[in-house]
Amino acid sequence: MTEWIEKIDSCDSTAAIEEIRIAVFGKKGVLAKAFAEMKSAPNEEKAKIAKELNEMKAKLNSALNEKKVILETQALKEAMKAEGIDVSLFSPLCERGATHPVMDTMDRVIEYFTNLNFSVETGPMVEDDFHNFEALNLPKYHPARDMQDTFYFKDETLLRTHTSPVQIRTMMNTQPPIRMIAPGSVFRRDFDITHTPMFHQIEGLLVDDKGKVSFANLKCILEGFLHYMFGDVEVRFRPSFFPFTEPSAEVDISCIFCKGDGCRVCSKTGWLEVLGCRIVDPNVFKAVGYKEVSGYAFGLGIERFAMLIHQIPDLRSLFEGDVRLLEQFR
Amino acid sequence: MIITKSWLNEWIDIKGKSGAELCKTFNSIGLEVDRHEVYSVPKKIVIGKVLECEEHPDADKLNVCKVDIGTSVRQIVCGASNVRADIYVAVATIGAVMPGGLKIKPVELRGIESVGMICSSTELGLPKLEDGIMVLDESIGSLKLGSELSQNPYFNDDLIELELTANRGDCLSINGVARDLSAAFDIEIKERPKAQIEEKQVGIGRILHLNHSKNADVDLMYKALKKSDFTLPLLLRLRLSMVEEVCQSAIDALLFYATYSSGVILRAYGYSAFPIEQEKAQITLAQDEDDYAVVQGLEKASTVGIVQYDSSRVTDEDEIMIIEASYIQPDVISRKMAEKKIENGPLFYRTSRGSEPDLDFGLEYCQELFNTYAQTEIYGGTLELRSSYEEKVLHMSIKDINNIIGMDVDKTYITQLLKNLGFGVLKSQTGQIVISVPQFRHDVSHDQDIVEEIVRLIGIDNIPSQAYSFTEKVHKNDASVFFAKRKHYRQRAADCGFFESVQFVFNERAVLQEFDFPLVEEKLDLLNPIAGTLDTLRSTLLLGLVEASSANTKVGRKQVKLFEVGSVFDAQRNESIKMAFSFSGADSVEGVRNNGKPNAIGFEKFVQIISNVIGDFELREVELSHGLAHPYQSAEMLVKGEVIGSLFKLHPSVAKKYDLESTYLCELDFDTLKFTLDVFSSFSKFQASYRDLSVVIPKSLKYADLKDVITQVQSAEVIRFYPVDTYESEELGDNMSLTLRFMLQSEEKTLEEEDITSSMDTILSALNKELGIALR
Repeated sequence: MTEWIEKIDSCDSTAAIEEIRIAVFGKKGVLAKAFAEMKSAPNEEKAKIAKELNEMKAKLNSALNEKKVILETQALKEAMKAEGIDVSLFSPLCERGATHPVMDTMDRVIEYFTNLNFSVETGPMVEDDFHNFEALNLPKYHPARDMQDTFYFKDETLLRTHTSPVQIRTMMNTQPPIRMIAPGSVFRRDFDITHTPMFHQIEGLLVDDKGKVSFANLKCILEGFLHYMFGDVEVRFRPSFFPFTEPSAEVDISCIFCKGDGCRVCSKTGWLEVLGCRIVDPNVFKAVGYKEVSGYAFGLGIERFAMLIHQIPDLRSLFEGDVRLLEQFR
Repeated sequence: MIITKSWLNEWIDIKGKSGAELCKTFNSIGLEVDRHEVYSVPKKIVIGKVLECEEHPDADKLNVCKVDIGTSVRQIVCGASNVRADIYVAVATIGAVMPGGLKIKPVELRGIESVGMICSSTELGLPKLEDGIMVLDESIGSLKLGSELSQNPYFNDDLIELELTANRGDCLSINGVARDLSAAFDIEIKERPKAQIEEKQVGIGRILHLNHSKNADVDLMYKALKKSDFTLPLLLRLRLSMVEEVCQSAIDALLFYATYSSGVILRAYGYSAFPIEQEKAQITLAQDEDDYAVVQGLEKASTVGIVQYDSSRVTDEDEIMIIEASYIQPDVISRKMAEKKIENGPLFYRTSRGSEPDLDFGLEYCQELFNTYAQTEIYGGTLELRSSYEEKVLHMSIKDINNIIGMDVDKTYITQLLKNLGFGVLKSQTGQIVISVPQFRHDVSHDQDIVEEIVRLIGIDNIPSQAYSFTEKVHKNDASVFFAKRKHYRQRAADCGFFESVQFVFNERAVLQEFDFPLVEEKLDLLNPIAGTLDTLRSTLLLGLVEASSANTKVGRKQVKLFEVGSVFDAQRNESIKMAFSFSGADSVEGVRNNGKPNAIGFEKFVQIISNVIGDFELREVELSHGLAHPYQSAEMLVKGEVIGSLFKLHPSVAKKYDLESTYLCELDFDTLKFTLDVFSSFSKFQASYRDLSVVIPKSLKYADLKDVITQVQSAEVIRFYPVDTYESEELGDNMSLTLRFMLQSEEKTLEEEDITSSMDTILSALNKELGIALR
């Protein structure tokens, strides 16, 4: 029997080991034969022979199983080796597209203010003089209404020059308190390195009872907003003038490129102008029939934000559908 | 508005403030600093006097000068054409280093020793004032020989350019800027010493008469002067060149200087420009044909607030000149200009933003300049015409002011601040303030304006932020849903490999017309487009995508997948939102997997990818109304029987025109896209069976027709069916074989062979009956 142990040891394939298994443990195998022969042995020896045979059977069984595991593992290894590939050939090429940085920035701004329980409002792009200018305290002869700056239609309507008409429409349709933002496309008749005839704005408006809304509130919300958009920056307010709002201010952040040391982007000033804001002019409230209210408003250019955040150098490139630019924002 | 520190210092004492401090203050009070430059003359440049000046014996253009520089007399060779004896000059002495880096050393010029250099203004780093050397005069102070020019404040100055907002016409003068600084620093404006000017015995009324038909909205004031010749002093020339002003004559320059300093609009007329009646020149204020206020002489002399005509200027023959100060309210002149536009220039810029209304003050200042620099004889008295002006008075409570600002500001502080700005503060009750607005602040008309003044002078950065508290409100509306939906679909499109394009809402009318897209009605179209290629509103997103695809292909892109969500306009200019896709070139990225040879995008793959973005839809053959589409590869897209858009292959001739390979496009009504939450429906727990059916159909039969027939008769167990194979052969001729795969499943049990056969038989017999189709 021990010669089978040796055979198992020297076996080198799973097929060969199967042959051995049959030869040893099969119905006509050597073990079966040995047990059969045992029957003809004298009775007093039977117990001894049976014991020896059982021991031998266990020994053979474990040797066979061990060898089988070893051979199977080896066979698997070889099979896998044959399946080997050069993984470096397959560095992936991402086939995802990308959303536009301007639209993404717009969504981010919307999310911030809706989280603060502002409503989102929209209005038509083709506007009339009343909503775009007059109600905003921009008199008929104001330079900003010049043909040079505004796209007019032949029927005396125009393409809105800001999203402020949405504020007017919302105020005329509802009653205070109002907390809203108005995102959308706006149009100015200007086309050069730093201007495109269409761009995007978001304006915000808050109106409540007289005495409830202050300049200090306006500062507070904008500081929070600018930190959300630009991270850890300093925020500076400079008094300025917008025709339909007072008091007005322009808001700067410390330059995100040079951290305020002065560079090309901030024209060596260390500051970047990012938005305009104001306490709403009483004439505007008068135009929409509000009495005894107070409010603030602010507005920003989305392209400007997107260009600063993503460090995009050229405004016009944002409107060219150029995949070389867009694929950088996957 | 350009100012210099020394000029400003004539009006307010700011000697102790540095240039940087001034800039910081200007920024914080809303006069934005655009530019800050420092002028300084190097050391060892001293005042000298040319005692003698003789031609160089060996050089035509050189002169040999003896120059007294206080401590000694130096011989200096000078090449300037305007050098002569008895003039005061700036002398660079030995050891001086000029701004350009030149170091002054004794030199020999054509055999003659020259010890030092007589300087021009540009050699000193100043603006150019004249050809040749800079001739000094007493306008820059006493000319003590040998004194260093670097000690002279006029030559060591800060130049600051301010960007003024449109409402601050009052700061378009040195006087006005000084007034704002006075409030910012709480320093009083300098009292101007009343000049002792001797006027002629003869009064102005003896030589001049002012006529007016009706009272126009203008203020005019006149003074008559004997004309005398004079040269503009150095200081004025230096300042005018710093503010980049070039004047035709010394008189013009002096008037400009007076206006720039005081803010009052001033001009000079020649006496001969007016008709003489009863020995008096007749000045007439009239309205011209455009309803502008004009000063009339023999001809139109000037349009008030806009322009002076050349014929009324002071001529060489004139012995008398008439100086006019004028004021017109900015809203009056702006409105006129809006109603009837006429040619205008820098003067209108001033008057439409608000010039200084105090004409007495301006005229007096002007008279003082003429007296000082031109020793002019002046006729006694003035002639004037005043429009009515109603003083604005505002009553406010300190509490309201503080509520708007959001912090407590003291009444005394407010009072002082407003007074410094030139406002009148009248007596009032406790907690109240009564303010009279000066005429030069036409932009201040209500409470908020006053608060704005206070806010800017306090400095917004000094107001502590304070959170606003509010009552929560549900704010879900159509707009918020729209933006959420837009974001959802934009993300899905990007996930499926499309890049988002944002295009202008403009298209070229001729191109829209060429491809038969709807056009905005002519009478509703743009009046003043910015360019021919952007001359109308777009009625489709597709053209923009085709153009962008073309541009991308031209720079070597082998696959261009774009999408846009944006507004389009119909003939009546109604706005709607569309979503459009384009897919051009290779159907996948090149790589090992496709042996570097990906297929061109085809109909099937395009439809598949669009459905990955927007969900299931069905296609129906359609003839599209525009000319971009391939006539035999166009389809309407339907969801639950409703048309949501169309998709098509780009017409080969259009593709050729735009240099595009295989290109597919799709445009959808964004509103029809689903944006609701999905609802669960139950599904069978029993095993599904599949059964294929190959039928022979005529090639002309549309699958949609066949599908309709099956849909009508299919049993409830037929869950889904779809085509899986087509086969054509010579043997089949005009017919083809089509294999359909059916998925069958029951809610109640595992289907048995007879159930399946019965379902399939029903379908087969209907196909046979309706379309004459049989099994292959």
